[in-house]
Amino acid sequence: MTGPLVEFDGVDKSFGDTQVLYDVDVDVDEGEVVVVIGPSGSGKSTLLRCANRLEEIQGGDIRLDGRSVIETDVNEIRQQIGMVFQSFNLFPHKTALENVALAPEKVKGEPEGEAKRAASDLLDRVGLADQAESHPGALSGGQQQRVAIARALAMEPRVMLFDEVTSALDPELVGEVLDVIEGLAADGMTMVLVTHEMGFAREVGDRIVLMADGRVVERTETRSFFDEPSTDRGQQFLSRLL
Amino acid sequence: MATQTESESSGGGVLMRDRLVKRVGEVAAGGFVLAIGGLLAWILSTQVDYSLLASPLIARRFAEAFFLVIQIVVISSLLSVSLGVLVGLGRISTSNVTGRIAKGYVEFFRGTPLLFQLFVIYFGVPRLWATGEFPFTDWAIPAAIIGLTLNHGAYVGEAIRGGIDAVPNGQMEAARSLGMSRVMALRQVVLPQAWRNALAAIGNDQIILVKDTSLLTVIAVPEIMSVFRNINSNQLDPWTPLVWVCVLYLAITMSMSQLVNGLERRSDWGSDSRMFGRLSGLGSGDDDGGEEA
Repeated sequence: MTGPLVEFDGVDKSFGDTQVLYDVDVDVDEGEVVVVIGPSGSGKSTLLRCANRLEEIQGGDIRLDGRSVIETDVNEIRQQIGMVFQSFNLFPHKTALENVALAPEKVKGEPEGEAKRAASDLLDRVGLADQAESHPGALSGGQQQRVAIARALAMEPRVMLFDEVTSALDPELVGEVLDVIEGLAADGMTMVLVTHEMGFAREVGDRIVLMADGRVVERTETRSFFDEPSTDRGQQFLSRLL
Repeated sequence: MATQTESESSGGGVLMRDRLVKRVGEVAAGGFVLAIGGLLAWILSTQVDYSLLASPLIARRFAEAFFLVIQIVVISSLLSVSLGVLVGLGRISTSNVTGRIAKGYVEFFRGTPLLFQLFVIYFGVPRLWATGEFPFTDWAIPAAIIGLTLNHGAYVGEAIRGGIDAVPNGQMEAARSLGMSRVMALRQVVLPQAWRNALAAIGNDQIILVKDTSLLTVIAVPEIMSVFRNINSNQLDPWTPLVWVCVLYLAITMSMSQLVNGLERRSDWGSDSRMFGRLSGLGSGDDDGGEEA
């Protein structure tokens, strides 16, 4: 494969009269971890949501493996793009195991036994093998978010999108979720992360994309960004954090 | 924690008022029970003819009416809940046409009296056929079931719609982002939660349905009220058959609320109940604190 796995190409997005994304270009190569940072309201989450068409875009294109996401069947494209949300959104009426096995069973038509076995392996991978039969209401926020990651992985997506997945967690629960994501990065999973955890961004990100007011203002290797951001905007953003 | 500090800092005033309100409530409730209990005891000892009450003739007539009502309730209940699910789904449909039809349906059947609807079905509908050609010879019971179903289908539909609205948007988004179609996401993820959200409201409505069968007396269904009217006019004794009426309706409605409670417990998967448990624990904890202080 020659081109990038995920390609945001001149993406414009508006909610009614309010434009929130202006001509956004971002490329993500296979196996790469791209971290999107920026102040609140800069359009980071919206960009992720456009990728699996939870939001429709008004201009430009988004391609997965060279194929336009916009022109492909929405349910098919979503099977290849895993998404993890800030608020977990686990299904409260199903156990952890059922949460993970539901989509492979119903969407891919896997036999129940097979889907459950795979789900159980995934729960093991996120360190929750012992909570398979628990309902989400009985789990901590960190555990719920790890189940949500396993649930997204169960569809064997080509790329995983993480939308501020630690923002709703108590500080002492952030680490266990970040560990799981780090493990995925080590396994070569292609990922796009929106996060406010700068330490983590620095550790796990291959490249940083800084957004402000709906535009990409800096796009660079992780190390060089944190050592010496090339734009004023980047310097400003970092100086306010550190 | 926060509430404790608050009530401490505001001195004994709030606690005193809480206790006062609680005492007034207890006195009012106790007085009410005494008054009603006394009246009831007086009626039961002076007005009720116990030999008539226990006579096999009356018992048999009430029993027949009772079982007829139960049959009508079970059938109308199943039909109206099924219809209500369809109406609720119609209300949230992305199709404008379906949405408006469901809305119009609800507006009409909630907006006109059940008695009117029963008259339309029982008296009006047979007139649409030429004399003697209406296929039903005994139209009263089918008309009753149709009327109760259509009327309560509207209420159940609104309960289901409310239940669906109360499911957070993120549930649909999470299901869709896994590749589920909208219909599959509704069926697998949203509706089971909506059903639980709506259960209490649906149960409430079904209990009203039981009591609404008393209206069927005006379209010649031989139900419980009809038996009462008959005995009252023959014996000139209202209180004795009224005891029967009261006991029979309560027998149905109380078993129905037991059933609803059971269903609610069964569909309690432990997330919200934990939260409610904490909240109510907090409330009663403060209350007890007030008592002891």
